[in-house]
Amino acid sequence: MLGMPLSRRLRLISATVAAALLALMATATASAIQPGGITDEARKMNDLFWIVTIAGLVVFVLVGAALVYAMIRYRRQGDELPPQFHGGGKIEVAMVGVPVLIVIALFTISMITLVDIDDPAEEDALTVEITGFQFSWQFSYSMADLGTNTDPNADPEDRINIIGTLQPIDTPDDEIRPVLYLPVDEEVEFILISNDVIHSFYVKDFLYKLDLIPGRVNSFAVTPRVTGDYSAQCAELCGTNHALMRFIVRVVERDEFDAWVAAEAARQLGDDALVSSPGTQGD
Amino acid sequence: MATVAVPQLSGYHRPAVLDWIMTVDHKRLGILYLYFTLFFFAVGGILALLVRTQLAVADNSFVGNDAYNQIFTMHASAMLFLFIIPVWAGFGNYLVPLQIGAADMAFPRINALSFWMLPPAGILMFAGFIVDGGAADGGWTAYSPLAQQTGVGMDMWIIAVIVLGMSSTIGAANFLVTMFRMRAPGMTMFRMPIFCWTMLVTALLQLLATPVLAAALVMLFIDRNYGGQFFDPNGGGNVVLWQNVFWFYSHPAVYIMILPGMGIISEILPVFSRKPLFGYKAFVFATIGIGGLGFSVWAHHMFTTGSVLLPFFGFMTFMIGVPTGVKIFNWLGTLWGGSISFPTPMLFAIGFVSMFLIGGINGTYSAAVPVDFALHDTYFVVAHIHYVLFGGSVFAVFGGLYYWFPKIWGRQLNERLGKLHFALMFVGFNVAFFPMHMLGLDGMPRRIAVYADSAGWEALNMLSTGGAFLIAVSMIPFLIAVVMAFMRPKDQPDDPWEANTLEWATTSPPPDYNFDSLPPVRSERPLFDARHGDEEQGH
Repeated sequence: MLGMPLSRRLRLISATVAAALLALMATATASAIQPGGITDEARKMNDLFWIVTIAGLVVFVLVGAALVYAMIRYRRQGDELPPQFHGGGKIEVAMVGVPVLIVIALFTISMITLVDIDDPAEEDALTVEITGFQFSWQFSYSMADLGTNTDPNADPEDRINIIGTLQPIDTPDDEIRPVLYLPVDEEVEFILISNDVIHSFYVKDFLYKLDLIPGRVNSFAVTPRVTGDYSAQCAELCGTNHALMRFIVRVVERDEFDAWVAAEAARQLGDDALVSSPGTQGD
Repeated sequence: MATVAVPQLSGYHRPAVLDWIMTVDHKRLGILYLYFTLFFFAVGGILALLVRTQLAVADNSFVGNDAYNQIFTMHASAMLFLFIIPVWAGFGNYLVPLQIGAADMAFPRINALSFWMLPPAGILMFAGFIVDGGAADGGWTAYSPLAQQTGVGMDMWIIAVIVLGMSSTIGAANFLVTMFRMRAPGMTMFRMPIFCWTMLVTALLQLLATPVLAAALVMLFIDRNYGGQFFDPNGGGNVVLWQNVFWFYSHPAVYIMILPGMGIISEILPVFSRKPLFGYKAFVFATIGIGGLGFSVWAHHMFTTGSVLLPFFGFMTFMIGVPTGVKIFNWLGTLWGGSISFPTPMLFAIGFVSMFLIGGINGTYSAAVPVDFALHDTYFVVAHIHYVLFGGSVFAVFGGLYYWFPKIWGRQLNERLGKLHFALMFVGFNVAFFPMHMLGLDGMPRRIAVYADSAGWEALNMLSTGGAFLIAVSMIPFLIAVVMAFMRPKDQPDDPWEANTLEWATTSPPPDYNFDSLPPVRSERPLFDARHGDEEQGH
């Protein structure tokens, strides 16, 4: 068919394919090294991620190797017809059986993780109401529900609100993004609300997202374990400036959180909003 | 084999253009489908290059946010509704009657109607770019309430998709009747070529699922224009209802988009391995299994809505991996012990197997519900769909074009150019789409027009953009090969590949009404039997 001798051509092709497969495997491994997340829940999900990844890589290497081997070993070497094998009972049972076992195992492990991370929030968890709107976020804290350091005398109507504004497209620096303050090592429950279109509350380092749906209230709880700033953004297409619905999750020590609450309360609610000063109630 | 199945009538000759417009011949309609869909493949590809150019660098302003949303929406709409779904109707139109030994489709005029609904729909959809407010920009998923906010381009998109859906629904009925009623003597259902089987299951899916989409789109249209409030919570409607009905169609649609491609490579692999398809019946049942399970996994697109029965849909989604795994075994088993040669169609078929393997594996991440919480709506999912629909379907389209080109146009595409095309496309594809896995893991959401420099996504995006342009470059040798082929005379024999199925038992290209006589059909490989008689057993 072609000028080049058959065997040379085949060796070239098989080498190319083998190299491509190897390169893919290498990148797959490298890519999988993602940060494990900063919440208890994220770490469990990350474990599951690795189980799926290892199972996937094993399947990929076995099937890929068989494919490359077959292409080299069984390349056409003459006009003689190979045995006309149509398949048979036992092999076809294995064809079904092996995938069934793999998927049932993976499903079972997934469900165990799902149940594990899906615990409802504790009574005393800090609650933050998250409202997505075109095109930013509002983070709302009730003064009567600040988690372990809640002031029992606070007025439940008193809230501090962080309201983001539309970020100009050409502002690369993070300063302009709304910041969601969270105390480290404490469970926090998010109440997700939208009044315009669907948004999705996505914090990469939680390894989690949940949609904000008009007409529906979603919620989930996590316990962040690592202080720091984490960039996050809307994950559901919500219109022209969807890409600019960015925000920062700032996980801080409890006293820093209390100081921030005090400052925001003073700014937003006036000095008398706090019946007693935060930082003294903790026990 | 004689060339003429019916005597030529002398006298009046229609102009060639009218001949094409008024034709009810399944082969000509098939060719029209192929030209139409490949045109929109090019259009969708150009839109993809605009997307990739915009995303190549951080904080880019190559296209604005508004334009970006229109571009990626129309990229997906063109590729899915105007390319992949109808391209199989093109292959099916040309091949199904030939493969089952029939003279035409069961309803030739309905067949022409199916095709001629496409151009107005395509024009209507793309005319959105010139109206006030621009083309549809809510994503091909058109999630409500966002889809309620956009301009008249969205209404044009809705009507276009309804028309396209009607086309594929009546086309599906035509395929089913053709395959059930018009098979050659001796061709039992289990002797039908495997491509026909995949078209049969595809047609069933279209018949059952597409009307659901049409109903949903009509409701969306009423919501937008007449205050229907089906999907508006302020009027008692339900936002998530749209997603349920949309994905009830659109998940089976994923199989509508891939099953015929599986059929095509399952024709190619046995021919160039010189062996029968390994586990023909297992393949058929796996295809039916994928079709059936395909109706019970739709909500895995909605795990993060918080209103999905997670264990059920997680389980069904994993289960669909079983028939998919069976097919991988079918293909490996076909190669195993064969006598394999590697002309261009075979390269694309093997490219399909290897890329679809990755597309299957990276799909399991979304079946594992807690992992999906992290990866949903990120570039990881974009990688997944492209490994399935490009690494799978598009590779099968080109495999099929190289394979049946001698039959359809009577000429061979140049092998060296074909191999160059494959190599560039294979490398370009992986460079374009593999980095998207990493971007998704690193938290890059899909459908964002810009990303900040501080996100650290620039290098991988640049790489991906380079891959996309390499794919575009790979089309150059293909186009040269096509032009070169058309400059040559029609010189192809009936059966240049030593193939198995009936389309190779007539001339290349086949005459009107296809066959003068048919070889006996005693297995799923009548031409193999004719070549080798009883010397080779194994049936």
